[in-house]
Amino acid sequence: MTSDPKELRSALQTIPWFQEIDPNHFEQLCGVSRLLQVEAGDELFREGDKEEFMYIVLEGRVAIEIYVPGRGRMRIYTAEPMDIVGWSSVTPVVRQRTASARAVLPGRLVAMDAKALRRLCDEDHDLGYVVMRRLANVVASRLLVTRLQLIDMFAHPSQETEHE
Amino acid sequence: MTTLATPQHMAVNTLNPMLPYWAEIIRIQPEAPGISTYWLRFLDSAVRQGFSFRPGQFNMVQVPGYGEAAISISSDPADRELIGHTIRHTGNVTQAISRMKVGDVLGVRGPFGTHWPIEQHPGADLVLGTGGIGLPPLRPVIYHIIRHRHDFGRVVLLYGARTPRDLQFQREFAEWEKGGIETMITVDRADESWQGLVGVVPILFYHLRVDPRKSVVLTCGPEIMIRFVVFEALARRIPSNRIYVSLERNMRCGLGMCGHCQLGPYFVCKDGPVFNFELLEPYVNLENL
Amino acid sequence: MNEILLEAGSVVAVQKGDFDSLLGAMNSLGYNLIGPAVRDDAIVYAPLFSSISLPQGYISEQDAGHYRLIYTGHGRYFDVTPGAQTWKQFLFPARAPLYTQQRKDGRWQIESHDDHPAYALIGVRPCELAAIQVQDRVFLQEAWSDPIYRHRRQRVFIVSVDCLHPCGTCFCDSIGTGPKTGPGFDLNLTEFDDLFLAEAGSETGKIVLSNVPYQPASAFLLQSARRGLADARKRMGRTLPDIDELPEALLGNLDHTHWDDVARRCLSCGNCTQVCPTCFCWDVQDSTDLQGTRSHRERIWDSCFNPDYSYIAGGNTRPDTRSRYRQWLTHKLASWKHQFDVLGCVGCGRCITWCPAGIDLTVEVAALRREFVK
Repeated sequence: MTSDPKELRSALQTIPWFQEIDPNHFEQLCGVSRLLQVEAGDELFREGDKEEFMYIVLEGRVAIEIYVPGRGRMRIYTAEPMDIVGWSSVTPVVRQRTASARAVLPGRLVAMDAKALRRLCDEDHDLGYVVMRRLANVVASRLLVTRLQLIDMFAHPSQETEHE
Repeated sequence: MTTLATPQHMAVNTLNPMLPYWAEIIRIQPEAPGISTYWLRFLDSAVRQGFSFRPGQFNMVQVPGYGEAAISISSDPADRELIGHTIRHTGNVTQAISRMKVGDVLGVRGPFGTHWPIEQHPGADLVLGTGGIGLPPLRPVIYHIIRHRHDFGRVVLLYGARTPRDLQFQREFAEWEKGGIETMITVDRADESWQGLVGVVPILFYHLRVDPRKSVVLTCGPEIMIRFVVFEALARRIPSNRIYVSLERNMRCGLGMCGHCQLGPYFVCKDGPVFNFELLEPYVNLENL
Repeated sequence: MNEILLEAGSVVAVQKGDFDSLLGAMNSLGYNLIGPAVRDDAIVYAPLFSSISLPQGYISEQDAGHYRLIYTGHGRYFDVTPGAQTWKQFLFPARAPLYTQQRKDGRWQIESHDDHPAYALIGVRPCELAAIQVQDRVFLQEAWSDPIYRHRRQRVFIVSVDCLHPCGTCFCDSIGTGPKTGPGFDLNLTEFDDLFLAEAGSETGKIVLSNVPYQPASAFLLQSARRGLADARKRMGRTLPDIDELPEALLGNLDHTHWDDVARRCLSCGNCTQVCPTCFCWDVQDSTDLQGTRSHRERIWDSCFNPDYSYIAGGNTRPDTRSRYRQWLTHKLASWKHQFDVLGCVGCGRCITWCPAGIDLTVEVAALRREFVK
């Protein structure tokens, strides 16, 4: 974990949607962010954990996994640079992680304090709108991916479920 | 068997185009569960020396007593001796093929259909989007590209499968990378031993920066995957006439004469299987066409 | 009597009484004669040995899902519009062996089948000749041709008959395929009560015609024939207007609500594809003996209405009647034009007559054109 302001600032500036927000909002977001270095295999969070941070991948790869009894840990998504992991901590529904996140490759991430970010959004609705807009995009694209995974497009005909 | 009516580069008798040419199975290469590549060599030396195909074309492969199936040719077109056919064992004919051994003989007619027309796009960036059983029909064009690498700009292969063990031709990815093809591989789901991407092929576009002014997309695979790959390509402003898709329909003759493979006004065996997407645009959102 | 030289286009008069000699001349040239006959209250095409078996005195009453053969006692052999059968069964047989494969010493050997009779088709109506010419474009393509069709077509002798009395489901005039026979016949006849007007359209036609006595055709006869044809044009049972706009009208309306309407009525029985003289879809059936050493490949008629027609691994691309009916109609009247540069329909009306649900494609096309759905 590093909180060197200069390093943090230049890291955040590489993220496309951060380049589009006004300087005041940028400062506020800097204030709730930390840079994080990870090694391959490092766990970000586990299923059941409290949702405390939202992560933005700068370099590396983070796998989202769900443990299925009898089948082990299933990797259902990998987040690449500029992808967001743990977005639900900002708009919590169940207040605990429903999947685990683990670094697959060594990398760098931005970790944002979810509670602090929520407070910022409550206090400044303009900032809140920007953040929620961005998260809505993330959720939409994840939903599309999930739907396409659900269709199971590469299934061998014998593996497909019966339609009639 | 007269070869008088056989055009130089084809294994088809133009006066009796349903007659097969015999080819021996020289090698069988398992690729993934339920999928193997059969390397065939024509018995007739004149046919063997003359036969040539263009990437994207297919042969009608026959098991005497069972029937024929349309199989994409998956080998390097420069290899004139052995012709590779990657087969997924799903129906009557392909399951009969799965029971055959090296040395057995199959009937072959072809090559039929249209090819990936990359020669019309010198200097273009090529994006090959495929998954599952869609990779074999693109494999010949990958070899062609590597051999003519300087004719093209950036070349990226986006390839996906259901799970890591369903990925085909994995042993060749390193060779392709060395040949100048960037490969981005993804699976729908995996276990913890998989260090690569997990997601679906169309969203690999999110990790690409494409220049729509010079990009050409080649896509092949389940039609649902093709639809979303095309969707992502069009969303990035790649014009529809620089997107090529390879489709599949029920083929019984390969000649445009039996009617089965029709899609709108086209015969997929004759006007396809590789189509310029612009031709398909009026029909793409119609169900059950 | 036969000092007149037979030239292309010259029309002569032949007495009815000499018709059997005409048939005999074809016979002695080695042709298997096929002509219309009455069987089970319908017109079929059967081997023809003498004019006695021709359906003299019959007319047919046809409408959507309706066919009646009625004996009126008139004196003409061929003045009855066709039944369910077409001439395509002789050039493109419903079942035909492709070849047999025999396994010997680990290798397969092929035995071709070369049974291609020379037929004389007698009583071919203008719409039917047009249909044969449509199928020519399918089976005799530039890149390759079907040997079965090619051999039979090269040997066939066509005796066509102008159509002076179209029936309730006819619309050859709309398509431009009748009621006057177009070029492509060996002999064309216009039938009156006691004589035929005959025109030779080929060298063989001339040879056959020169075997019977003939007179020059009088101006009166020629005028009567022309008047008869003009009348026939006005008495078509159906119309299909603006055929040049059909391809766009149909391919541009593939999501029209009317397809749902037809789908509710269509039984997907495939009758239309069986009775249509241009439908050409076929399948191959493979069979083998128990030891697997001898296998037989046979070509059989298929139909886009068959459930398995569009089956591919993992599913059926046309799983319902709606999509199959749409395929049939848009192929026949639209896609065909793109594929073969000619319409697939010749206006014979058989699909209307023999549809058990009484579906009339001229009515369906009109409905598709009427309400335009965006």
